[in-house]
Amino acid sequence: MATATDGVGTVQAEQSKVWEWLTTVDHKKIGTMYGITGFTYFLISGLTALAIRTQLAVPNGNVLSAELYNQFFTMHALMMIFLAIMPMGASFFNYFIPLQIGARDVAFPRLNALSYWVFLSGSLILFSSFFLGGAPDAGWFAYAPLTDAKYSVGSGLDFYCVGLIILGLSSLMASLNFAVTILNMRAPGMTMMRLPVYMWMTLVVSFLLILSLPIVTVALVMLYFDRNFTTNFFTPETGGDPILWQHLFWLFGHPEVYVLILPSMGIVSEVIPVFSRKPLFGYAAIVFAGASIGVLGFGVWAHHMFTTGLGTVPALVFSATTMGIGVPTGVKIFNWLSTMYGGSIRFTTSMYFAVAFIAMFTIGGISGVMHASPAVDSQHQDTYFVVAHIHYVLFGGAIMGIFSGIFYWWPKMTGRFLSEISGKWSFWVMFAGMNLTFFPMHFLGVSGMPRRIYTYDEGFGWDDWNMVATIGSYLIGVSILIFLINVFRTMRQPATAPDNPWDAPTLEWATSSPPPEHDFDVVPEVHSSMPLWTNREMGIVTPEAPEGLHIHLPPSSYMPLILAIGVGLIGVGLLSHLALVGIGVAISTYGVWGWSIEPTD
Amino acid sequence: MSAATHETEHHTSLGVDNRKLLMWIFLASECLFFGSLLSTYLIFKGESLSGPGTDIFAFEITSISTFVLLMSSLSMVLAVYGAQHGQLGLMKLMLLCTILLGLVFLGFQVYEFKTFASEGLTLSTNQFGASFYILTGFHGCHVGVGVLYLSSLLISSVRRNGIGKETPLYIDIGGLYWHFVDIVWIVLFTVVYLIPAY
Amino acid sequence: MADMNAVHDAHDEHPTTTIREYLIIGLVLSVITAVELVMSLYEDELGVVLIPGLLIFSAIKFVIVVAMFMHLKFDSIRFTQIFAFGFVLATCLLIAVVVLFAYDATDAIGGGFIGDPIEHH
Ligand SMILES: [Cu+2]
Repeated sequence: MATATDGVGTVQAEQSKVWEWLTTVDHKKIGTMYGITGFTYFLISGLTALAIRTQLAVPNGNVLSAELYNQFFTMHALMMIFLAIMPMGASFFNYFIPLQIGARDVAFPRLNALSYWVFLSGSLILFSSFFLGGAPDAGWFAYAPLTDAKYSVGSGLDFYCVGLIILGLSSLMASLNFAVTILNMRAPGMTMMRLPVYMWMTLVVSFLLILSLPIVTVALVMLYFDRNFTTNFFTPETGGDPILWQHLFWLFGHPEVYVLILPSMGIVSEVIPVFSRKPLFGYAAIVFAGASIGVLGFGVWAHHMFTTGLGTVPALVFSATTMGIGVPTGVKIFNWLSTMYGGSIRFTTSMYFAVAFIAMFTIGGISGVMHASPAVDSQHQDTYFVVAHIHYVLFGGAIMGIFSGIFYWWPKMTGRFLSEISGKWSFWVMFAGMNLTFFPMHFLGVSGMPRRIYTYDEGFGWDDWNMVATIGSYLIGVSILIFLINVFRTMRQPATAPDNPWDAPTLEWATSSPPPEHDFDVVPEVHSSMPLWTNREMGIVTPEAPEGLHIHLPPSSYMPLILAIGVGLIGVGLLSHLALVGIGVAISTYGVWGWSIEPTD
Repeated sequence: MSAATHETEHHTSLGVDNRKLLMWIFLASECLFFGSLLSTYLIFKGESLSGPGTDIFAFEITSISTFVLLMSSLSMVLAVYGAQHGQLGLMKLMLLCTILLGLVFLGFQVYEFKTFASEGLTLSTNQFGASFYILTGFHGCHVGVGVLYLSSLLISSVRRNGIGKETPLYIDIGGLYWHFVDIVWIVLFTVVYLIPAY
Repeated sequence: MADMNAVHDAHDEHPTTTIREYLIIGLVLSVITAVELVMSLYEDELGVVLIPGLLIFSAIKFVIVVAMFMHLKFDSIRFTQIFAFGFVLATCLLIAVVVLFAYDATDAIGGGFIGDPIEHH
């Protein structure tokens, strides 16, 4: 290590450290970058939510203008979905796919790096719209004709199209990589029915993205053409059809909600057996439930469109499929409860979040099934009831699950334990805050408060519950602060975590904490879906690493970064001057060429 | 893009190569891409408030270009055959053939678009025009990408070090992409050009 | 051709189709396309047979290319399963969306389909 007096050496060490991260193809480093980026956007998006709640705290609020309010609620959703929850999911996927299936890296390490850098460039394009003439302001689902050049004059929606296409490209590449890795790189003995449930959910999520992203890409391209190249796909005056946008968008959008929730279901399916000291109840049932959610998820999209006049028969069909998809979801909930039943439960912070996930997700699930009825749905359409529903599913579900995962895997990823006392404080404050924020929205919705209004008059009976919701949202903010302090204090402790502190059964706990660059010295034998527990019972010991162990790792590469810069420039060009597209294409071509000729051994 | 370690290069869980698996999953994804474009076209098919409709199609030209693309699939499969049987001369010749046929197809498409535009069908004329151009245009883009892809395979197989012992695999995977673009056209030709508007 | 053996050894399981067979397949594909073209010229005579006929011929071409040229007939069943899943899903969604538009009740006001809810007021 360079000493303080050796200034030049320090700078060089810093530079090589940065270069190491910029060119890394290690799935753990890429996962870490996804996690940090995703959490940063989670904080920014949370701040926009606080601004929205501040505006709505009292009638006739004047914190935000109507224009800014529209941008904030649109970007709050876009950032939470595409820049926070999905990347935080991708962070765990990256980090734990190879570790849980007993591989040394993902199938395509450089493609993995490329996915991250393309994600970063797409996210920066979308986010920069705030400073370049206004963010998208037509809701995250961007219904036509609000998105048409006539009603949305600024370039916000062009940022929406280009940003989401680039982010979709990144997700597609990442998902292809994950799917191939899980299908094809499992450790010897790890059959599909011995995969950890988290890996099953990752596989289902990957296929959902692979099969639904192309649909929204087509829709976004058409919207971009409508706004820039004089087509009229979605403008009714000239023969276009705004309902077509809704179909294409929700054909992607409904699978997307499973993309957001299934990773958290997977995390909870790992956490609950470990802290109940009991194998997961009904492994096969939970796997098949997850897979059938994936398939059925493509057959329910029009439940978002009951009020568009689908016709009686289509409304009945989509009502039935939507109720049907509640069944596998219910199966999972009973599996988790049965796992806990009769177990000797350890109430760690991770377990708190997992149990809260089950409860909150059940509330969100039930209010979701209510909307399978077209009659109820027509009543609730565009009211705060729907806002309450999605936040019980996405905050109470997805975010709680992610926090459960953070507390569970932190010692594996960093070698340090997050403080349990502080963790439980952040849990209880978050739990109280989220229920205070979102439960009153059910009442607001039923008493008729519409979504997406930037202010409201007094005298509708909405004042008190709005105030409660705002107080709740600040409590959530406090809980996140407590968590951040916890993280910073933890990272100053020495790394002392043992290999398997929770006595967990899956392979990621069979290597050191944090894992070495090559993940495993020797991959343990796999004889069941809970290899470490089974191996202990059967007395199977993982052999010691041989002397002079040498494991060949793929070399780092800066080509992914170059290619991502090229893709980013193409995006910027589509938003500014077409000449930049040319430069972007040239850089990308160089990246692809360099990629294909550089040695990989 | 080789597998991470030496062990996994030779052993995979499904017994198939990672890269080939990646291509097949990607092609499954592409089905949804063209499915969405085709849905859009079919929804708007009868809707032309102004300007030309499907009667603008010139069957002679499209039939020839369809035949050209079909033959490129044949030459592609012969290139794969050459690679798999060690006949590298045949492989290179057939790759070149495929690339040229792909370029001819693109030429026909450019000619077709120009003719239609001169007859008054543009992106903004009507729904038929917009959805037709975007559907066949994206197919054309795929042909273009395929031409570049196969050219890079050809160039690297001509270079002295070549693509080495994995040549058959690389050509095979490139062929999968090319054939997929061809089957998309098989569907588009029938649904867009042959089945009359009603 | 020094590296001929090396190339050959790398992969031992190849489709057994010969060049001659590939050429015959190419010929069959061309003939089907020609038949399709002729069919489309006799639109009126063929009547209701035309559209199903064209779709069946196109499906035959599709299957031939996928099975023989893309080697699905000889390759791992996993590839067929994955591709078939994507293709079938795309086809189902396409049909569903087109049908939903064809039976759009809001378009039927005044015109009216049989079973249209608006007629039963
Ligand atoms: Cu939905």
